[in-house]
Amino acid sequence: MLEVKGLHKAFGGNEVLKGLDFKVEKGEVVAVLGPSGSGKTTLLRCISFLERVDRGEILFGDLRHDMVHISKKKIREFRMQMGFVFQSFNLFRNMTALHNVMEGLTVARQVPRQEAERIAWEMLRKVGLEDRALYYPDQLSGGQQQRVAIARAIAANPQVILFDEPTSALDPELTGEVLEVMRKLAEEGTTMVVVTHEMAFARDVADRVVFMEDGGIVEEGPAEEFFRHPKEERTAQFLRRVLGDLESDR
Amino acid sequence: MTERLANILITSFTKILMPGIRVTIPLTVCSFAFSMVLALFLAIVQVANIRGLKQLSQLYIWIFRGTPLLVQLFIIYFGLPSVGVMLDAFPAAVIAFGMNLAAYNAEVIRAAILAVPEGQTEAAYLIGLTYPQLMVRVVLPQAFPIAFPSLFNNLISLLKDTSLASSITIVELFTTAQQIAARTFEPLAMYCEAAVIYLIFCTVLTWVQGYVEKRLVWEHKEGDRKGLRGLKTGV
Repeated sequence: MLEVKGLHKAFGGNEVLKGLDFKVEKGEVVAVLGPSGSGKTTLLRCISFLERVDRGEILFGDLRHDMVHISKKKIREFRMQMGFVFQSFNLFRNMTALHNVMEGLTVARQVPRQEAERIAWEMLRKVGLEDRALYYPDQLSGGQQQRVAIARAIAANPQVILFDEPTSALDPELTGEVLEVMRKLAEEGTTMVVVTHEMAFARDVADRVVFMEDGGIVEEGPAEEFFRHPKEERTAQFLRRVLGDLESDR
Repeated sequence: MTERLANILITSFTKILMPGIRVTIPLTVCSFAFSMVLALFLAIVQVANIRGLKQLSQLYIWIFRGTPLLVQLFIIYFGLPSVGVMLDAFPAAVIAFGMNLAAYNAEVIRAAILAVPEGQTEAAYLIGLTYPQLMVRVVLPQAFPIAFPSLFNNLISLLKDTSLASSITIVELFTTAQQIAARTFEPLAMYCEAAVIYLIFCTVLTWVQGYVEKRLVWEHKEGDRKGLRGLKTGV
């Protein structure tokens, strides 16, 4: 359903994505793993046009476009079909949680105000924050802010939601509530791409795992197989290290 | 001397205060309003990086910050008539003060816009907002509380700088003090009295600033939240 082909991206002389192909099917949950600096976040930012690639092509639904020569209007069209959840939440600090969720509906999509408000309440209920709807972001905990951000991302019913390390900026005791919301979304059949360091989440929730290193995909496959029988030595090394950490945490 | 001086001080107080209220304050308010409109434009074309307009804005700021206000005032009121632009004293002063202050306010606003976290800009684009929508709905409402103390600082500065208008025939607070000083031969007393009246005006402004600043923080908007709660039950 969403596919990018031959992504090249360099920052200065530093090549971050080296001709990467990436694909997600409808209803699929893909976890993108890899050591820091492997280009995971850059991949998501390129898909959502927050970074302009040097070369690449995107296929999304029935839209197909070159990613370098693309108008702002066309980019907006693509983005209207995507939801994005940032590591640092990025809620609008001058608006209540409710208005954060409504904003994309009323302003960008001309949904009537009452209808938008109904949807926003429903989304906040979904992430378990109905009682915080009228609070400003500064009055919410990190976990609550991220849940509002998820509600904002799903409000317009996008075809795919991109999560950029959604729990990395949270205190350990707050990651659970965010992962729980994401697990629920996955169960409802939401198409999701999740860049994460949460191995347990990737193993239990993702359908497919993509392992990246050095701007390319080293290995990908069904989540269970990936964790039990990694094919590549580099993947196995990575898993030993992070799962070892996971064990020693307990 | 004391009784005569006391009499002069008392009778002149309202005589100086009235043109302060009728002229100095309107002059300050009009000039500041004009400066804000211009400053907003100058700041936004810079932040939005509009080629041509950005450079023009920088040139404007360079010139108006780099030359004395009094000189600018004289150019507009005494200089422009020789190229056919005749202005009454009051509008000439509003234009001079406004254009001068716009250069300073533009920099304050620009800095405040840049202080709004970049991540919200990305989030706004991703939910489909356009650049103007982003500015009006997300960035400017957050830039305003950041810019407010500095803008208010400039407003207080302007209030006192309007005394320069006395040099282009406007009869305002300071002009009146000058006239009374010349008539009564009490320059020390009259100018001190004028200073006290300016001080009173600025004190009031300082109170206003403190009052508004307290209400500029988002989480203090209790009323807003209550209002919305009422709305919720209706849905």
